[in-house]
Amino acid sequence: MNADDAMSRYARGDDAAFAIVYDAVAPRLEGYLRRHLRGSAQVEDIIQQTFMQMHDKRGTFSAGAEVLPWAFSIARNFMIDTMRKTKREASADLTDERTAMGAMLVSRVANGEEVLQARQTGARVLAAFEALTEHQRAAYELTEGEGMSHAEAASVLGTTVTGVKLCRHKVNKRLRSAIEEREQRVAAAPSAAPAGDR
Amino acid sequence: MSLAPDLKQRVLAAAAAKPAPTRGQTTRARLVLFVAAIAGALTIFFIKGGVRMTNRPPLLVALTSVGTAILSGVGMYLLFTRRGRSMLRRPGLWLLLAALGSTVAFVSWKFGVSAAFGMAQSWPGRVGFKCLRLSILTGALPLFAALVSWRGTDPLTPAATGAAFGAGAGLGSALLVDLWCPVAYVPHLLLGHVLPIGVLAALGALVGWRLLRVRSR
Repeated sequence: MNADDAMSRYARGDDAAFAIVYDAVAPRLEGYLRRHLRGSAQVEDIIQQTFMQMHDKRGTFSAGAEVLPWAFSIARNFMIDTMRKTKREASADLTDERTAMGAMLVSRVANGEEVLQARQTGARVLAAFEALTEHQRAAYELTEGEGMSHAEAASVLGTTVTGVKLCRHKVNKRLRSAIEEREQRVAAAPSAAPAGDR
Repeated sequence: MSLAPDLKQRVLAAAAAKPAPTRGQTTRARLVLFVAAIAGALTIFFIKGGVRMTNRPPLLVALTSVGTAILSGVGMYLLFTRRGRSMLRRPGLWLLLAALGSTVAFVSWKFGVSAAFGMAQSWPGRVGFKCLRLSILTGALPLFAALVSWRGTDPLTPAATGAAFGAGAGLGSALLVDLWCPVAYVPHLLLGHVLPIGVLAALGALVGWRLLRVRSR
């Protein structure tokens, strides 16, 4: 039984099916939340809140609906609330989360030799990513990081499929230009050094 | 890092400790609420006089009512239903276009058919305030039924969803008021028949933002 069917059965009153939903959805939420939040306590708190919300509103779950975009949209809502509340302290130290996000970005935008170069320019790529709008980042992260379809990501973000595709295109373009800028700098470096010696 | 081993047990125990309504129970509760709201709206409508032909030919009343019913039905379908297999509603821009499109189509139909029967002229003394009041009164009950039924279920765009519910309720009340009001003069239609859809949408957005959003526990 997949998660959608399990949630549908849970909505009909089959309490045992909730464990199946948890097993399918919790690890996906965890990966997403860990890239944004500090510490396990916050991640676990949001996962617990998300499942309690799904439980409370199980009666509204339509037969044949998809559970994952629903769960992500609820979790993202709680995550944004949490981030707003802890904005000041969170801005002080986000090293782990930034590293995890950088690793995900690097693995998605480049291949082969590009990966090596992109690793060296991780900070630059991350800076380019962080300069994008929150909506663009989320669209990219849900499709590339979480493997959601455009339709699922659009559903989570409350936008259209075209909107998600446009966001992805913009993010790809921005990240590629960040890598290309880095390559141009590396290529220009050997000729710049002797000039500096003169 | 991974989740605490006991988190799953904690989640399942918390869910077991707090029973939640099943789909069948939720559907029945919504049905009762909507039937009560529609009964309330009809009661108000009949207290105010019910269907009034005035000097309209029966064919005109039938055409405007059937057309309004179809357009309102399509509008409400677009505004209330979800997209595809998603549990989440359509994008805000989509809802806005659906509400505007349905409203413009409804006014155009009412004016166009009435004009064809030579009944789109000005009615002195019928500015539209009575229609405005009746539309808001009959639309408010289904709107609040929708807002209460879907409370705490919109993690994305509660205000837009509330506005969509308001516009849908306004389109529904437009059907009743069309049976009541013979006037198809454009300024009257705008004040008495279109403005209430906007008022109910604004009310839906305001209350929906409070009532429909998913709150942290």
